[in-house]
Order: sequence, then C-alpha cells, then structure tokens
Amino acid sequence: MSQLDWIVLVITLLAIIVYGLSKSRTPRNLDGYFLSNRSLPWGIVLLSIMSTQASAVTFISAPGQAYTEGMGFVQYYFGIPLATVVICIFFVPIFRKLKVYTAYEYLEGRFDGKTRTLTAFLFLLQRGLSTGISVFAPSIILSSLLDWNIYWTNLFMGGLLIIYTMTGGAKAVAHTQKLQLIIIFTGMFLAAYMVVKMLPENVGFTDALEVSGKLGKLNVISSGITDGKIDWSGRYNLLSGLIGGFFLVLSYFGTDQSQVGRYLTAKSDRESKMGLIMNAFVKVPMQFLILLVGAMVFTFYQFNKAPVFFNEKQVEKIQQSPLKDSFNLANTRYAELAVQKQSAVTNFTNALDTKDEKEIAIRTSELKALDKQSDSLRAKVKSWINSKEVGGDGNDTNYIFLRFVLDYLPAGLVGLLIAIIFLASWGSIAAAINSLASATMIDFHKRFSKTQQSCEDEYRLSKKYTLIWGVFCIVVAMFTYNIGNSLIEAVNILGSLFYGVILGVFLVAFFFKNIKNGNAVFWGAVLAELLVLVVFILTKLETPVLKMGFLWLNPIGALGVIFFTLLLNPLVKKTGAKAPVLNS
Amino acid sequence: MEKPNDERPPLFKKWSYWYLLVLVFLVVLILLFTLFTKRFA
Repeated sequence: MSQLDWIVLVITLLAIIVYGLSKSRTPRNLDGYFLSNRSLPWGIVLLSIMSTQASAVTFISAPGQAYTEGMGFVQYYFGIPLATVVICIFFVPIFRKLKVYTAYEYLEGRFDGKTRTLTAFLFLLQRGLSTGISVFAPSIILSSLLDWNIYWTNLFMGGLLIIYTMTGGAKAVAHTQKLQLIIIFTGMFLAAYMVVKMLPENVGFTDALEVSGKLGKLNVISSGITDGKIDWSGRYNLLSGLIGGFFLVLSYFGTDQSQVGRYLTAKSDRESKMGLIMNAFVKVPMQFLILLVGAMVFTFYQFNKAPVFFNEKQVEKIQQSPLKDSFNLANTRYAELAVQKQSAVTNFTNALDTKDEKEIAIRTSELKALDKQSDSLRAKVKSWINSKEVGGDGNDTNYIFLRFVLDYLPAGLVGLLIAIIFLASWGSIAAAINSLASATMIDFHKRFSKTQQSCEDEYRLSKKYTLIWGVFCIVVAMFTYNIGNSLIEAVNILGSLFYGVILGVFLVAFFFKNIKNGNAVFWGAVLAELLVLVVFILTKLETPVLKMGFLWLNPIGALGVIFFTLLLNPLVKKTGAKAPVLNS
Repeated sequence: MEKPNDERPPLFKKWSYWYLLVLVFLVVLILLFTLFTKRFA
C-alpha cells in the first residue's frame, strides 16, 4: 500500500471512531444502552439493519463467488422479502407491545424459563462463534495480501470498534453504521466504475456482460429442478433460496437478537416496519450489484493475465513443496492460455460488433474451450494446494476481489477499499456484540441474579458485558484457522445449524396458541437440534449418506421443533406459562 | 403506549398494501433476473 492509501485508511477509521464516540451520549439505563431509548427513525433503522447483515465477507467473498461460480448466490437472498412480510405481521407487533429487550424474553411468558434460556443460549453460542469468524475472515485475507501480522490485524479488526460500542451502546452502533454504509457504497461504486473503465477502449459494459455471460458467470437464476426432480444438493437455486432462504431469514430477522435489537431501537411500530420493508426492497438488488462487480472483474481478467491462484501465501507454500515443478509447469501453461484467451476474447467482442451470428458462435466456442482449459488447470493447482504434500487452503474465492484491488486500482482508492473492509466488519461486529451483551444481561444476568441493582449498576454492567463479548470474539478469531470454502458460507452454515431450531420455538409460540407446555417445546427443540446436527454430519461424511444444501437445515430445524413439540405435548408433564413479560 | 397514528403506514391506507408491494417486487425481480440470465448466460 502506498503512503496515500495509509493516510486514507487511518483517517477513515479514526473518523468512524470519533463519530461513534460523539454519538455515545445515552440515558444511563438498559433502555438507553441497548435500545437507544427506542427513539430512532426508520432511515437509521434501515441502514443499521443493512449494515448488521452485510459484514466484510459480503464485500470480499461475494465478488469472488461471482468470479468462480457465477451470480447464482443472489438467490440465497430471495427469502428476505417473504420473511419480512411475516416478521412485520407477527413478530414486530408482539415484541414492541411487550416492550421486550430481547426476543427470548417473550418466550418465558409464553412457555417457561428454560425454553427462554435454551434459545438465548443457542443464540449466544451461534452468534458468539460466528462473530469471531467475522473478525477472523477479513483479517486473514488482509494479513495474507498485505503481509500484516494476523494477531494484530485481528486485534484492530475486532478491537477498535469496542471503544464506541462499549461507550455508546446501540445508539453509537446505529449512527456509525449509517456513516459506514455511506462510505462502503461510495467505495464499491468507485471500484465498479474502475473495473469497467479499465476494460479495453472498444469494450463497453454490454460487451463485458456478453463475455462473462457466455463463460457462465451470469447464471443468476436456476430453477433447482433437473429432469423433473428437485435438486436437493444444489446450494443456490430458486427453490432453496425461496424456501430454505425464507426460513433462514425469518429466523435471522425474527429471532436473532443482533437484528431484533436493531428494529427495536425504532421509535414506533411504524418505524420498525418501514426499516424492515425498505431493507426487503434494497437488499436483493444490492447483492446483485456486488456480485455483478465480481462478474466484471472476471471479464477484466479475460483481457488481462489473472494469477493461476489468487492467494500468494499459498503459492509460496506450493513453491516450497515437492509439487513445485508441477506447479511451475501449470503456471507457465496458464500464462500461455491467458495470452490465447486475450486474443480470443478480443475476437469475440469484435464478432459481437459484426452481429454475424455464425462468427459469434465460432468465437464463443473458441473462448469457452480456452476457459475450460484454464479452469481445469486452476482446479489442478487447487487440488495440489489442498494435498498432503502442501497442506494448504485451496480456496482463493476470498482473495480474488482484493487481489484485483491491490494490483490494479489507483493509490487512494486501495486505501479506501481496505478501509471498507474494516468498516463493514465493524458494522456487523458492533451490532453483534451489543446484542450478545443484551442477551447476557437480560436473559441470564437479570434472570438469575438474586441482588436488586440500580439502573446505573445495570448500565455499568452492560458495558462490561459488551467488553467481555468483544474480547471473546477476538479470542475466537485468534483460534479460528482454515475454515475452508468461502468464509461467507462458513458463517451461513454455522447459522443454519441453530437458526431453524430457534425459529421453530418462535413459530410454535406464535402459531400454536393451544400449546402452552414449556416442557414439550423445550424437549422438542432439543430433539430438533440433535436432528439438525445428525443431518449435517450425514452430509459431511467422506462418502455423504445425504446430499443436501445447507439452507435446507433451516426448515428441518424449524419444522422439527413443531413436529416434536406436537408429538411430546400430550406425553410430557406440563409446565405452567406465566403472563407475558411486560417491561415498563 | 404507542400512538394510534404510529400504526398508519406512510403512503398507503393499510400495511397490507406495503406487504403486497414487497411480494410483487420480489416476483418482478425474479422475472427480471430470469430474463437477464436468458439474455446473457
């Protein structure tokens, strides 16, 4: 990075911290600290919801995924509009009417204390670990690309935001998220503009789309039905996105405190709902555009030589292994293919100008054949890196976009895009540790503590819990290593292991009014969680017994809870439900 | 207590219109993405 990049990076990060601290004045009580006194307008709630959901990996991984697998990943977000409607109708009015601090608080009044504790515990477990990954994910990428020490990077990635999150609670989180998102969108727009601008002069945006489209990167929609049969193993298709994504998003927005805590900061039902509805309008197109940047980067690399593998640290590893000669041969061949591809892609875009269908078809198949050879070489290199001889990580999806940024974007913009990685991380991590602290304080400390504490004491303690969770996430990040696959997926898979079950408990609470037996729900949730874990293990065996995309774990968990609860309801001893919790 | 005014959505008389708009928007997006896929992929 150049001196200018460092200046841009440091100034941007300092500005956010100072801005966060300037917005830190809140009433010294739980309402002020965790819910910003329920006073925010929908615009800030919207940006806060978006920023919480979009972590650094959203901006790093998504373009990389489009580069390697195409744009089908956008279907994962189709569940958002559907789930938003359900959340606005059922979840928001209940949470706001009962004036709860956390979603889980409601379950004690509806069922019993242990059901509340179980769901809050599953949330803390899942959110605590995934936030650790959210710290580690961008850190490992930046440390590899820029040769930064991973421990220091983790510390800066997860540590600096604690200053304003601990001081200002939900209010500081929401206001910094607003500023962070504005900077992020500006940076991503500039990056997208630069990719297209750096294409050869005679290649326009439509030509660029034609190139990536012909090479299979613009496959946004796939039905999920092959030869009349549902493709259960497909990770991203219309069916898994609409059904699996619906359950995942319903659980995330309806029962994950990191999101529930955002829309509970709104000053009214109306503001909460409008924040969520606007998010439903914005999120899918936004994700489409981020993926499109990846597809454009792919096109750019058809005209310019791409590295055979984008993570240079792993390339260094293979260079020091017994496979180095094979790698060097493959690398040379890849470079030769790149030269041939440059000529083929130029011929292809020239053919597009002639509008001669026959010529276009010839040039397309020529380009496709070369791309297939390049792909197979890349696959070979990846398998070598994964092999025992090298013992590396053969997935470079997360490195593609940033490698492009570092190699081709001008000084200043590089610093801004690195700053964006930090800001996107901080936005989601700050909301996560704020919600982890609120669940710890409300669902555990206040519930199990026998001493009555003043508002001031509770406020101070909440700050301590924020600090503790911040430190916990950094520690998880320090111990996270080699998650493999795309990091955005690792977070989503972890979520899918628990979200479905938490959602199932809430679905029983909302839609099965006759079920008041806390024991049945509690044991139903335990059995459903075991079922989800068994199914997940069966899909991960060396010879998988089940072939199933991870998004299906969400409906399995949710429907599992409903099934087991209905089954156990007449069989297990009943526990009495208390009146719904009402906070004054 | 929430004010009764808070419940009235902006622009429309009822929230159900907003929900319908969200769902229609999703259908339109899927259609547009399908056309995009057919055109380029």
